[in-house]
Formats: sequence, structure tokens, C-alpha cells
Amino acid sequence: MNIKARKEALRFLFAPVADRLGYKFTPVEEDADFLLEQEAQIEAETGIPYCPCQARTTDRGENMKMVCPCIPFHREHYNAMRRCWCGLFVHKDVTDPGKLRQIPESRI
Amino acid sequence: MKKVTIYALSTCLWCKKSKIYFEEHKIPFVSVDYDKQAADRQREMMEEMRGAGCTGSFPFIKIGSACVQGYDPEEFEKLLDKK
Repeated sequence: MNIKARKEALRFLFAPVADRLGYKFTPVEEDADFLLEQEAQIEAETGIPYCPCQARTTDRGENMKMVCPCIPFHREHYNAMRRCWCGLFVHKDVTDPGKLRQIPESRI
Repeated sequence: MKKVTIYALSTCLWCKKSKIYFEEHKIPFVSVDYDKQAADRQREMMEEMRGAGCTGSFPFIKIGSACVQGYDPEEFEKLLDKK
């Protein structure tokens, strides 16, 4: 698997999905690039582009909630943060994602 | 100085940023990459995180007896300063 090529493919595949959910890629290109590369790597190892910042367990049902873009499974939580957990996606109106805090679901 | 332990994922951007935060502030810490551990150690870590009321999202950071889920420098400072 060519990770760099797959990273760009994931970027292309995810963009319209996130757009329809009201999200876009983080404007911090360095972060977007790092996260997409991690996902391409995880996909190469597991067959699925899981979120790079959430742990997979032996519970397949739970793991499915971490398949990127995982926004639909965490709507309320991510809308409260105006970003997804790993920060790959932010609300469409966000211009400075550095100000957005990573807030655990238990504190929403 | 309080003991700092970071439960991380080797793929996680915010785990990386958390480590940089503590390095830049010259605060010693221990880091454990969940995804590099054996299954039983992973179960232990996950039980500890859930026991602290957290989900399986990383980073999970223990500062003294308190814990923080997520990259939150303000919270780190509060917990480090708290007597």
C-alpha cells in the first residue's frame, strides 16, 4: 500500500462526507496531513481507516463508531467542541482551530 | 513535583502535543502507548480509564491523583499547581 497516495485518496473521499455533515478539514494543514497519514497507516494494518486518537477494543460494534469520519456517532459531543476528537474536522465556520478545546464527552 | 503519566496512542496528534507540552515545561513524565501494549495490559489501561469516568479517547493523562482526558493545557496547569 502506498501510504502517501492512500492519504490523498482518503482526503478526496472524506471531503464531501464531512461537507454534508457541516464540517471541513482543519485549516491547520500540518495537522490534517499528519492525521490522514496516520489513518492511511491504520487502514493498511487493519483494513479500516479508524480514528487515530481513539482506542479500538475487541468490541467490534464500538470500534465501528471510530471509523473516520466518525462525526455521525458523536454528533452532540463534536458539535459542542465544534471539532471532532482527533481534530481532523472542524465546523465549517471555524477559522482558528487552535482556540478549540478537546473536551471529554463526560464534561459536555 | 507530581507524577505525570500519559496514556497515549502512537498515532494520536494530541498525545504528541501533550508530550511536547510537558517537555517544553520541563516536567518529567512517563508515557505508555496503548496500541503498543499486549492485550491484557490494554484491558487494564481501558478499565482504569473507564473507572475514571472516561471513554477510550486519548490522551488520558494522570497528574498526581487526578486525571485529564484530552489535550487541555489550562487543566494541566491547574492540576500541576494544585497543592
